[in-house]
Amino acid sequence: MSIDTAVVLAAGEGTRLRPLTRNRPKPMLPAANRPIIEYVFDALVAADVTRIVVVVGYKRDRVQNYFGPTYRGADLEYVHQHKQLGSGHALLQARAAVNEPTLVLNGDRVIDTNIVCDVVEEFEATGDPTMAVLERPETSQYGAVVLHGGDVAELVEKPDSDDYRLINAGVYAFEPDIFAEIEATDRQEGELALTETISEKLTDGRVRGVRTEGMWVDATYPWDLLAVAEEVLARGHVGGTDRGDGVRVDPDATVHGSATLQGPTVVGPDCEVGPGTVVGPDAALGQNVTVAANATVRRTVLDSDTRVEAGSTLIDAVVGQDVHLGAGSVVPGGPADVRVGRQVFPDQRLGAVIADRVLAAGDVSFSPGTLVGPRAYIGTSVRASGTVAEGAEVVR
Amino acid sequence: MCGIIGCVGREDETLDVLVHGLSKLEYRGYDSAGVALTGDRLGICKQAGEIEALREALEARTLSGSAGIGHTRWSTHGPPTDENAHPHQDCSGDVAVVHNGIIENYQQLRDGLVSAGHHFGSDTDTEVVPHLVEDELAAGADPETAVRRAVARLEGSYAIAVVVAGSDAVYAARNDSPLVLGVGDGTGAAEDADAPGTGEGDGDAAADGQAYYLASDVPAFRDFTDRVVYLDDGEFAVLSAEGCRVTDVDGNTVDKPVDTVDWDPEETGKSGYDHFMLKEIHEQPRAIRQCLRGRVDEMTASVDIGDLGDLSPTGVQFVACGTSYHAALYGAQLLREAGIPAQTFLASEYATSPPPIGDALVVGVTQSGETADTLSALREAAKRGARTLAVTNTVGSTAARECDHALYIRAGPEIGVAASKTFASQLTALNLFALGTTRTGDTRDVIAALRELPSDVQQILDDSAAEAIAETYVDADGYFFIGRGLQFPVALEGALKMKEITYKHAEGFAAGELKHGPLALVTSETPVFAVVTGDDEMATKTVGNVKEVEARDAPVVAVTDGQSTVERYADHVLDVPETHPRAAAVLANVQLQLVSYHVADKLGRSIDKPRNLAKSVTVE
Repeated sequence: MSIDTAVVLAAGEGTRLRPLTRNRPKPMLPAANRPIIEYVFDALVAADVTRIVVVVGYKRDRVQNYFGPTYRGADLEYVHQHKQLGSGHALLQARAAVNEPTLVLNGDRVIDTNIVCDVVEEFEATGDPTMAVLERPETSQYGAVVLHGGDVAELVEKPDSDDYRLINAGVYAFEPDIFAEIEATDRQEGELALTETISEKLTDGRVRGVRTEGMWVDATYPWDLLAVAEEVLARGHVGGTDRGDGVRVDPDATVHGSATLQGPTVVGPDCEVGPGTVVGPDAALGQNVTVAANATVRRTVLDSDTRVEAGSTLIDAVVGQDVHLGAGSVVPGGPADVRVGRQVFPDQRLGAVIADRVLAAGDVSFSPGTLVGPRAYIGTSVRASGTVAEGAEVVR
Repeated sequence: MCGIIGCVGREDETLDVLVHGLSKLEYRGYDSAGVALTGDRLGICKQAGEIEALREALEARTLSGSAGIGHTRWSTHGPPTDENAHPHQDCSGDVAVVHNGIIENYQQLRDGLVSAGHHFGSDTDTEVVPHLVEDELAAGADPETAVRRAVARLEGSYAIAVVVAGSDAVYAARNDSPLVLGVGDGTGAAEDADAPGTGEGDGDAAADGQAYYLASDVPAFRDFTDRVVYLDDGEFAVLSAEGCRVTDVDGNTVDKPVDTVDWDPEETGKSGYDHFMLKEIHEQPRAIRQCLRGRVDEMTASVDIGDLGDLSPTGVQFVACGTSYHAALYGAQLLREAGIPAQTFLASEYATSPPPIGDALVVGVTQSGETADTLSALREAAKRGARTLAVTNTVGSTAARECDHALYIRAGPEIGVAASKTFASQLTALNLFALGTTRTGDTRDVIAALRELPSDVQQILDDSAAEAIAETYVDADGYFFIGRGLQFPVALEGALKMKEITYKHAEGFAAGELKHGPLALVTSETPVFAVVTGDDEMATKTVGNVKEVEARDAPVVAVTDGQSTVERYADHVLDVPETHPRAAAVLANVQLQLVSYHVADKLGRSIDKPRNLAKSVTVE
């Protein structure tokens, strides 16, 4: 009973990553310079999955347009979850498209293919529903798992103690009867959680929990994208041609001879990197990014179509798509206490989060920990700090 | 206009392969379809209506044969009926023919055949062919010779495929209509395709043998093979289990190169959209990226359009039809801005009454590279000694091969009959052509604007108000579109899109021309879409024209970057990002595409296959 089908859940916005999710769902945010979900697809293709059903919802155009109907030889089929009513509900949308054993994965976390392979192997050996389990300290964020000799004994959502060591990696294998079981599950506050259905299965059957390891990185808040980038860059899981020392440059990028690239770093297709620039370490340039003369970009993610004009300095910055940073823009880097609403996250290594289509005219500086909303306009010589709202105009 | 498919060497899968191929060719025509399979007696099934109707008719039949041909039709001679559907047969029923093109001397041939006692069952020009073959067979010719002799008597344009009872071969000929061969193995190879013969455990059929395909266009058999042979005019091919042989007019064997197509068969899927057109509208950022990739360098302000060589034209004449004509109007303007005399002609007019060419470069803009009117105009120009350039989306197309030079727009396959992404790619490519062949002061600015196009288009796709505006005006009597300068072709294209997919009346005008006549048509029931970008004299004048229509109570929808005062006179606004005027035309067009799409969708129109239209029109 081999598995060649997978359902990838990619319908949720990922609200804690706002303002970066203004125009796309979390799975389309960049892990270094490729969308997070692309790593999930890579892991599946490497595990010989040939058909991927993608559950899309929030800003689904972005997923569909980016990938189209196939990915590396695997067929992609899209099903639409109109309202985001939980992971079980999301999976249920794939019912008409799946009538064979299937993998189920979250599309918003970077994973390694051996996690997928371990689940497939266990499922094929036992025929029982299987889930991947990882040893991680942050159980409270992901839901804890208690194992008894390879069987899942208990799933604990939002555990209030740190006694647990194992988390649910969000990678499952099921028989198609999972759909009927989800339907039979009671809704909690209108939502259907997949973990709820699995918990019910524990009482009348067995669910295998396979201990696995390998890259598994998640971004909860916007600044986590820097750590995600560091992790995938360190592992070289990015595109482009290796120029040595972890410097990877796409063949369709133009890098001036006097530019200094410091690995690990990646430069995507259609990028232009000007003379005298210093890019890296830990810089990730998405497609069609422009870094003009004498700019410095370090530990920073620059997403597609963004332009950094001459003489700018960006350190510890997460920059969205189609952002224009005028000449002499400065993000001096973290650490900082980052404020999101009423919450304060102390001592984060964050220069700034600059959302899609922000225009900074020039000679703008961003205090450590600044969050700038999409389409904000920041006039010349402004010192931006705190939170700048979507579409706001800030002038001196 | 029509689509042809043929195949040999797939044994029991022949019928599946043919029907699958027809479904991929449906964009070329969809008012009737049919198939013929070989054997001691030919097995034929044909049906008016879309491919689905044929599929249903086939369910009641058991057709099989080791070779076969199929056809999907877009009517030129005779209405779409079962009788007029291809394949057509002779009196004996032993010869079946499918044909794309127009046989110009068919009346004369038909009269001769009728007086010789042949009975005709249809109104089509095609039906003369099987009867001609029948006569040759009766005279003792072998099937190949019979078909060859019959074809020799035809005048006009054709791609023809013939099967004859008792022969497991497909005979084909091409003149002025596209025909391409595919070479695969008997298993229906393609490793990742979801198509007949590639599913579970049916790899028994002729696993060691070769399979051959022929079709009007590669997608018809792309699921089975990526190796193709492009036939040239006057060539004749015989496909059989023994092999594939191509010969010239005189019967000499021609050694044809086998090309490999690199695009993915599944690029022709709908990826989650209700319509191909909406998918293709949303693919524009990607299409523009592909068009620009490796061709522009902002740092050095240089453009590299490959092996076009040094064209340095002293004058340019564009020839094109439909949407491509609008792109060509835009292209000519770019060259004139750079001081090069340039004009645009409707290809159908140019072909029959060409202007003096002098030493102008003649540029044919054609998405498919097979548009008969454009090919005819290009051939007329070549005959007069002009250098020719094809701006096309289709590698290996007739236009690309016949012209001295080709510039590919790289939009990827477009399935929706109404062109969308290919227009954006054409405008982008024409910018590259203009930058690559002329010198102007603001090259770097233009390149920067082109590089920003994908994200600017994406911004429109993310935030467009087009659907709400479509809702407001779905019941309007008609729609007018006005623009000036580079936005004039956009106004024309906006109106064409509206006509094509909504079936409603729509016209595009140069903004200044409105008051010279068309203003009489403007009422409170005719929304006017005014494309006004920038804030120069041109924009100010267009705003003046907007006031004229506003004063006649017409609802005004401004497509604008907000720099001029047009919003004051507008009932609704469709925003485009501020950019270089050249890029602004591409952006404004995206908003108008979305409006037309949503109006058509609300009216429940057949958006991907509008009535009476076909994607690439290979008849004049």
